[in-house]
Amino acid sequence: MELDSLSQPDLEQIERMGSADVVVGVLDLEPLEEGTTAVAITREALAGFTTPLRAMVVCGNPASNGTHGPVTATLEVPPEAPQSEIPSPEASKNGQSLTVFSCGLPPASQVKSTQQSISGAYRSVFVVAGKLGVRACGVIASRPQAVTHHWIYRLIQPVVDLGFDLVAPCYTRQKMEGLLNRSVLSPLHGALYGERLQNPMGPDFGLSGKLLQKILRQDASRRGVEVNTLASIASAAASGGFQVCESHLGVRTQHPTDWGNLSSLLAEVLGATFLEVEARATQWQSIRGSKSVPRFGVAEAPPSDIAALQDSAQEPSADIHGMVESFHLGTQNLQDVWSLILPPANLLELRRLSRLPEDQFRLPDHLWARIVYDFALGYRLRTISRDHLLRSITPLYLGWIASYTLEMQTAGPGEVDSRIERLSKAFEDNKSYLVSRWRWPDRFNP
Amino acid sequence: MWNEVEQALTHSMTRMLSQLASLLPGIVALTTALLVSALIAWALSAILRRSLAGFDFDRRVAQWGFPAMAEVSPSSSPTLLVTRAIACTIMLIGFLIGISAFDGALPSQFVIRLFAYLPDVMAAVVVLIAGSITARFLARSVLIGAVNMNLQYARLLSVGVKWMVTVLAVTIAIERLGIGGGIIRLAFGILFGGIVLALALAVGLGSKELVSRSLEREASKTTADNTKEAVGHL
Repeated sequence: MELDSLSQPDLEQIERMGSADVVVGVLDLEPLEEGTTAVAITREALAGFTTPLRAMVVCGNPASNGTHGPVTATLEVPPEAPQSEIPSPEASKNGQSLTVFSCGLPPASQVKSTQQSISGAYRSVFVVAGKLGVRACGVIASRPQAVTHHWIYRLIQPVVDLGFDLVAPCYTRQKMEGLLNRSVLSPLHGALYGERLQNPMGPDFGLSGKLLQKILRQDASRRGVEVNTLASIASAAASGGFQVCESHLGVRTQHPTDWGNLSSLLAEVLGATFLEVEARATQWQSIRGSKSVPRFGVAEAPPSDIAALQDSAQEPSADIHGMVESFHLGTQNLQDVWSLILPPANLLELRRLSRLPEDQFRLPDHLWARIVYDFALGYRLRTISRDHLLRSITPLYLGWIASYTLEMQTAGPGEVDSRIERLSKAFEDNKSYLVSRWRWPDRFNP
Repeated sequence: MWNEVEQALTHSMTRMLSQLASLLPGIVALTTALLVSALIAWALSAILRRSLAGFDFDRRVAQWGFPAMAEVSPSSSPTLLVTRAIACTIMLIGFLIGISAFDGALPSQFVIRLFAYLPDVMAAVVVLIAGSITARFLARSVLIGAVNMNLQYARLLSVGVKWMVTVLAVTIAIERLGIGGGIIRLAFGILFGGIVLALALAVGLGSKELVSRSLEREASKTTADNTKEAVGHL
């Protein structure tokens, strides 16, 4: 996105501001908690810093930036502060007090999916931040109901005070939440780029100006390719040698699962991830092993009602029968498609798995890791249409969820974590399989 | 009398042999044209195969967005498909040159009619290839979509769509070639209608399942809402 897609008043606002220390983006279109605005929580967050900072707030929702009516650039005047207390940009440059401006994002196209909209909004925030030459940029793309000023502070503080380049989010999750992250995104990122992150695709991030500029340059050099900025942030940081850390943000409110559109979600998220894998092949092939990154803040306890459910092991479980059935249907009908992506050994294991009774259904970690790698390779080789390839993974993913649910039915949070660590280890152990197939797809086809 | 019979036979044999002898240069020319064209076709396809392999044509075709081309190609190699198509075209041209070497009205007329027919043949071939690729693509889309929707007869739906598109493509191709006339249209109507009816029945039965599942989900939604969404993906 270029700056000229912003409205004229917003552009004038940015021009007037000239430079800033921090840009905060609040992307979700839903309004914040009643009585709060993005500008207000940004002020609160920035008040926690010892040095005064000049900040620009970029909002997806007109109501969230504290303006009324259409989204236009406005100089924010906190309602409680008398006009005389609002410092001029020049005044704040001298470090006299806190200054916060706000502007709105261009409206997202109706035809775009959630991921595409978030990615586009991210790019808009980055362009504004790049123009203002910021030191740090914090972006909140989660549903804003749970967002507090702590979120913004925790995303920006490690960048401003400790010199980190990327702050990835760490959420308090139930064991059945974040399954795509647990099953694919996090282990794949750890194995390929050598950094263990809970949420490599955010969606809430804190970035340094340096990393942000690199992402903007990289996006410009990949023109013509539909790049998902959200998917490229963590991989750009890891493969560019930037300092990465995680911050505990707390419980995240998520949109309810749309089971009817699961394959679209998978196609979007995995498509973006595999595109990054393809683009960074030269970097990840030379990385061995993985390391944990520094994690700041304290993990919040889950809300009392969820904690009670977890303690009594009565957490509402997923429809295991339905998911195993989907897996069986896939193995019966999609053999022709899978045989173009998976090598014979993996197909055979899947066929064997489909003969197991439901209560014994377990998808081994090494097989799942190889399946994910095979799909990444198939995506690169375009053995079949990319959309078909990505959608055909749905029954396998449901099989993994069923297997995980059966295993973790009575498990506590500690067991869930060690289960995911085992899976990450399997991804790392099988990386040589991916490297071999990536380099010699015709010769290495076990 | 026997002398007259013998004379008539000799005359007829001489006439026949002289006619055959007049055809002989044409036959030799046809054979030579075929041999030369085969030689050119072989050499050209060998050069083309080598240069396309060096260009990594098979992978590039998939990258350009035609992965289905590999499936319709011999040994799943678009390079082979292209080289064989070019070899066949050269052979056909050689055959036509050879045929026109006959110094007779019939072969010349044959060549003229063949050339006049060629655009229709080409159009029919293009329609068949496009139909086949579209049929495969749509069949796979329907199969994956139906499996992801948990429809038990996903394969039936997919095969139905594939045949529908194939029948349509074949009918257009035959119509283009001018074969069959009204019978083809009638047969197409019956076949197409049959497939649509079969699919309608299948979709009808499928929606019964879908509707009941959706109602079940609606019924259990209140309990789920009271607790928490069981599964989250991101």
